[in-house]
Amino acid sequence: MKERERALDAHDQPTMTPDASYELLGARDVRVTINDVEILRNINLKIGVAERVAIVGANGAGKTSLLRALSGTLPVASGEVILCSEPISTLSRATIARSIAVVGADLALPFATRADELVALGRLPHGTGPGGPTAHDRERAAAALKRVGASHIAARDVRTLSAGERQLIAIALGLAQETPILALDEPTVHLDLKHRVEIADLLVGLADRARTVVAIFHELEMVRDLFPRVIVMKGGQIVGDGAPSEVLTAARVADAWGIPVERAARL
Amino acid sequence: MRSTTRVRTLFTAGALLLVGVAIAAIGVGSVAIPPTEVVGILLQQIGVGTDAAASLGSTAIVMELRLPRILAAVLVGAALAVAGGVFQSLLRNPLADPYVLGTSSGAALGAAVAILLPISGVAWELGGVQLAAFAGALAAVGLVWRVAGIGSGEERIASVLLVGYAVASLLAAALSLVMLMSGANLRAIFSFLLGGLDGATWPRLAAAALPLILATTLLALRGRPLAALLLGDEGAMHLGVEVRRERRISVALASLATAAAVALAGLIGFVGLVVPHLIRLAVGPDPRAVLPLSAIGGALLLLVADSVARTIGIPVGVITALIGAPFLLWLLHRSRAGYAL
Repeated sequence: MKERERALDAHDQPTMTPDASYELLGARDVRVTINDVEILRNINLKIGVAERVAIVGANGAGKTSLLRALSGTLPVASGEVILCSEPISTLSRATIARSIAVVGADLALPFATRADELVALGRLPHGTGPGGPTAHDRERAAAALKRVGASHIAARDVRTLSAGERQLIAIALGLAQETPILALDEPTVHLDLKHRVEIADLLVGLADRARTVVAIFHELEMVRDLFPRVIVMKGGQIVGDGAPSEVLTAARVADAWGIPVERAARL
Repeated sequence: MRSTTRVRTLFTAGALLLVGVAIAAIGVGSVAIPPTEVVGILLQQIGVGTDAAASLGSTAIVMELRLPRILAAVLVGAALAVAGGVFQSLLRNPLADPYVLGTSSGAALGAAVAILLPISGVAWELGGVQLAAFAGALAAVGLVWRVAGIGSGEERIASVLLVGYAVASLLAAALSLVMLMSGANLRAIFSFLLGGLDGATWPRLAAAALPLILATTLLALRGRPLAALLLGDEGAMHLGVEVRRERRISVALASLATAAAVALAGLIGFVGLVVPHLIRLAVGPDPRAVLPLSAIGGALLLLVADSVARTIGIPVGVITALIGAPFLLWLLHRSRAGYAL
């Protein structure tokens, strides 16, 4: 019960009922095709409340497609994605957006946009009227900016920020959505060591607050350090799902990335 | 951060200013009528005022000549500015304007063909050319829509813009041919291309008012999905927006508003391009604030420009370009100096 209270407290989601039968996020025999080319197949997984899961794999292995299928932006050819115990195909886009926030690739904005204005857009799924963000929206946006340590750049035009700062703003946008699940597509790509460490620590802290974090990563050493569960993808399939010590052995890394075992052993 | 309260205050202040400017504008012209008399006449018409102080001449000038024209300027200005703001958000392109999907070329060709048609009669004189312009504008957007596959989920913004450009070029070539063959009617076609509110009579205004008011109001209230589209299609989906559906609705409404505006006032440039940018400078890029305020701003700009146009006898399209083009250049200069659109 304590976990349940924490969950409700953390993101104010009345639908959150983590009893045994509750399924936060899952996939059953999911198969995805784009223009008759099979992108994902035999995808089966279950991700529970407050889990911290890394998705790894070579380029083109289907990591981003998996994240898109799990967030309902990529339609499945067969099988089913489950979100908050409901088939995602039966949920409206707005309901999905109140359950899973996706921090995508780099932010590209057509107009000058202040960081706090952008983060306030994360409140859109919760319904705000004409005129723009409400006082409550702005308060939540400010809290999200503070959480990622970006309050000092709240008034800056996002387009003038560095890649690392933009990534923090993108994560704040996802946080402002206040969803039980936060999904991130390569949140540390192109970032230097300092920013990578900051973002990694942030993600760990978020999951500790009963928010589920699912993130695509390339840096295996970071994944080993920080993620209790790793999903390894190869050729559109899940080829490993478990603790890093089980699924990131030299032999399996060598197989998934197509590199010599001796070389993988030194990673 | 800019607050909702500030947006509401700006909207209310702008609306009041618009009413004031409109009353002043009704008084401007070859026969000057003081604002108090204008208000008296307007109140009398709706049965509030009882004093018969206003002369019959002034009443006729206000009611028959100036009021329809002022209302047309307000509605057309608001429609163009809102449609421009919608297309800029929807296509994520600061240079988009209401005519970006070929509306202007379609309307121009439709009007030119109608001017050349050997049709006469009272009904035709009342608005045949306007109707043809309206139909031409919608046909052009329809063509772009079909070719670019708007709302199919497959469309790319760059290809929508390119298809719009290609269709506009094709129609412009057809228009040139029609104008070459138009002989004595060249001047009538030319004056439509310049844009102006000279033709804004009560019947034409009444015909255009419904699509103008309806489409503009619905668009001004559609800021929420358009706000999400600042982040692109995928980002908007993650914020709970049915992107395909929203794009279909917004393009349809913005095209309807633009087509009705063009039919009533011809090709008036720069209002739809510049006003949303001006508003963004004041309140930031969120369409929930930008669109309602653009309606007020566009109405004000076109009203003032048309009053100047009436006074010095120059087509209003020339005035808006004279105000708008230097302003755009200034904005672009600033963007090089650090501020980005």
